[in-house]
Amino acid sequence: MNCEVCQLKELEVEHFEIREVLLCILHTIVFHRALGLVRPKDVDLELFEITYVQCGDVELEEKIDEKIDHFISWVEKHPNKKSQICLSFYEVKSKQPSWFTNKTERLYWEQWYVNLNVTQHPKHHSSKSHHTKVIVDPGESATEERSSRRAMVEASLREVLFQIIKFVNEKKDHVPPISEGVIYFPYEITIPSSSDSAFGMDMIKRMLHNGHPTMLS
Amino acid sequence: MASTHTSSHTEAAKMEQVITEFFYESLFIILESRSPFVSSRNYSGEQTVSSPSSSSSSSSSVRPRDKWFNLALRECPSALENLDLCRQSNFESVVVDVILEQKPLDWGPASFSPKRDLFGNLSSKDKNSLFWNSDQEESGREIKSEKIIERWLVLHESRKGRDCNLGNRRSSCYSLSALYKKLILLWRSLYVTVRLLPAYNIFRDLNSSGQICAFKLVPRVYSFVEPLTRKEEVDMQRFWFTPVDTSCGRLCVSVLYYSSISDTSSESSTPMSPQFIPNYVGSPLADPLRRFPSLPISHGSPSSLPFSRRHGWSYDHYKASPPLVSFSPSPTHSESHALVMNLDEYCPSPNFSASPSPSPSLPIHIPRSHLSEALLRPESAPVDIPGPKVANSPALSDKHKLPPSPPLKITRTGTSRTDNFRVPAKTGATIEKLFSFEKEDRRKYSGVKISSCGSPRISCSRSSSRSFQDDFDDSEFPCPFDVEDDEMTNPGSRVESYDKREHPSDINEAGLFVNRKSQDAAVGALVRMLKKAPPLCQDISLNFSEASRPEMWSNSIQKQSQISEAATVEHAAALSSASSRLVASKTAADALEELRGYKVMKNLLLSEGGKAYTSANV
Repeated sequence: MNCEVCQLKELEVEHFEIREVLLCILHTIVFHRALGLVRPKDVDLELFEITYVQCGDVELEEKIDEKIDHFISWVEKHPNKKSQICLSFYEVKSKQPSWFTNKTERLYWEQWYVNLNVTQHPKHHSSKSHHTKVIVDPGESATEERSSRRAMVEASLREVLFQIIKFVNEKKDHVPPISEGVIYFPYEITIPSSSDSAFGMDMIKRMLHNGHPTMLS
Repeated sequence: MASTHTSSHTEAAKMEQVITEFFYESLFIILESRSPFVSSRNYSGEQTVSSPSSSSSSSSSVRPRDKWFNLALRECPSALENLDLCRQSNFESVVVDVILEQKPLDWGPASFSPKRDLFGNLSSKDKNSLFWNSDQEESGREIKSEKIIERWLVLHESRKGRDCNLGNRRSSCYSLSALYKKLILLWRSLYVTVRLLPAYNIFRDLNSSGQICAFKLVPRVYSFVEPLTRKEEVDMQRFWFTPVDTSCGRLCVSVLYYSSISDTSSESSTPMSPQFIPNYVGSPLADPLRRFPSLPISHGSPSSLPFSRRHGWSYDHYKASPPLVSFSPSPTHSESHALVMNLDEYCPSPNFSASPSPSPSLPIHIPRSHLSEALLRPESAPVDIPGPKVANSPALSDKHKLPPSPPLKITRTGTSRTDNFRVPAKTGATIEKLFSFEKEDRRKYSGVKISSCGSPRISCSRSSSRSFQDDFDDSEFPCPFDVEDDEMTNPGSRVESYDKREHPSDINEAGLFVNRKSQDAAVGALVRMLKKAPPLCQDISLNFSEASRPEMWSNSIQKQSQISEAATVEHAAALSSASSRLVASKTAADALEELRGYKVMKNLLLSEGGKAYTSANV
């Protein structure tokens, strides 16, 4: 089985927009892969005029929130860096235990890469500065700039969502069959670790588990 | 053999059922997110969610329909209603137009129908549509503007031929499961897509907002519809969902939509919540009537007036010119001016007549009825005060009873007459009664009064002079026509008293007499005297035996001082015939002259008598 990989369009977001953007994207993806009986839940974003859908599973929501919190913490430690969150769906298959492998293996059949470029706005940068904050009257120009920027982020986010929908519609054969009583496929959310090297090690480990090279599309 | 046929029949039936559910589910998802107030979405924007697997009782809450495509949604009656429409078309095609209706100006809450508008093509080309909505009348109005912002197309492109019925069991099962999985994925995508399109924002605003917007979202379902014009399609974007192949064809879902309809959706009318409109037409605040110019101001509170609304004939005592009384209905400004003029000239009342001249101040109450009557007859005669009846009795004519209280009137000018009059005590008491009555009226119509600060034209000014009561209470105030007991017995004394009055020792006092006495009062007093006086017809001879016309008699007496009484009688008899003619045309002035003549005659007689006596004694 091939692992379908989808690299989503890079989004340029600010620090305070990370949570809502990630919630929207991740839940949309998971909803498309929750083929069991679900009661959809509509959620309106506060920062954008977008409504996304959740599966309505409490455990899923908590896990996603936790991952997002970790990512935000990492962003705070590594400001002004491009980051990537990987959402992977896999199948668990048992295999012959060996020295370096577990009894079970994960067969990733789909991976979603959410690319974010977290920017720090000049006004919000000096939160810990000892110097006196320069009071800048935003004026109308700053407000207009903020609103235009917000519109751009919203449009980009909408594009990403449509990208997800198109991907889901175009590629259906790789999706495993639906198991009875299973709401959503097993998934994994991978965020950058404290060091890039560790992030790279995670990718290598995934490759060893998968047994397939990572395919970038 | 039979089992294969049965299984294939079963598979076909299942396939047909899947296709049926495909149409139903598509309609459900689209209509549920485009029909305001029908959606399963609550107003808070979030649904109460309970995962089917999270609780043990979740399985009981799962309906059989929820298991189709594993999407637990609420019932959508509109989708079920239109399922028959799909059946009519043999489940080949279903078109859902999402129309943004701009409500007409004369729409009302009743016309804001949240229900879905189902009806066939207006051109009546669609013969398969059977549902007609009561909003058809609305849609027939030309004033309502509509715009198709979305067009959903759900198709089942059947592949006719032998291939539809052929297929082994294994492949059909595989295809059925695969088809089912793919359809599930399709509905997941459809469910997300309907919420990403711009029309969903309108739907969400309509659902969540408590305001009645100027637009309405109306989905319409057709089995067949004419394609959109090229111009419309150019402005719209199309999104295709990947078709799902079936054994007999493929299932397709696509949508044409406007990428930007924010301009129309952002317009919102003002809330239709009840609002108090303070300045409605006809309200007191909208256009208060102009005030009356320079009319006496009443010191009463406006609130005590029965018609104290500003737009009525109320007044503002802070203003300079309030009306004298309150009238209803409120006349126009021109009428008010005319009324003022009439009030200035004639201020009749049942009890008083007010003139603009500064005369004894008097709080005047002019009821509406009386005032209107007064306006109709500007030269109205003074209204007699219903005083004591003893004054009108015939016995009074030759009796010594006090005259009735005169009608109290305030003349226009205070210097009209020099006549004096005196109000006897009883008259003063009557006047007191009148004042007491007036006071009651003043209390009743406390807003209507005359103050000194208001009107320069109304004579009822307290500060200008003494009050009427003060004047008439003065018993020493002489009245030339006042008939006292002494005067009744001795006409000469009466004349004397009149003479005294006529030539007051105090010039100032005479001036006061002149100022205070009105011409009408003098006339009234004279009339009273004439009533009491003996008939001229009977007494003329006697009277004229005693006195003649002042001029003639005085001359004759002076010239013929020695003439005997017989000559006097003859002269009187000669004049009797002439006097009889004069009786008919006697006026008050003539009566006054006659009185003077009597006085002169008296003096002459007295002098003659004195001389005769003297001569006799000599």
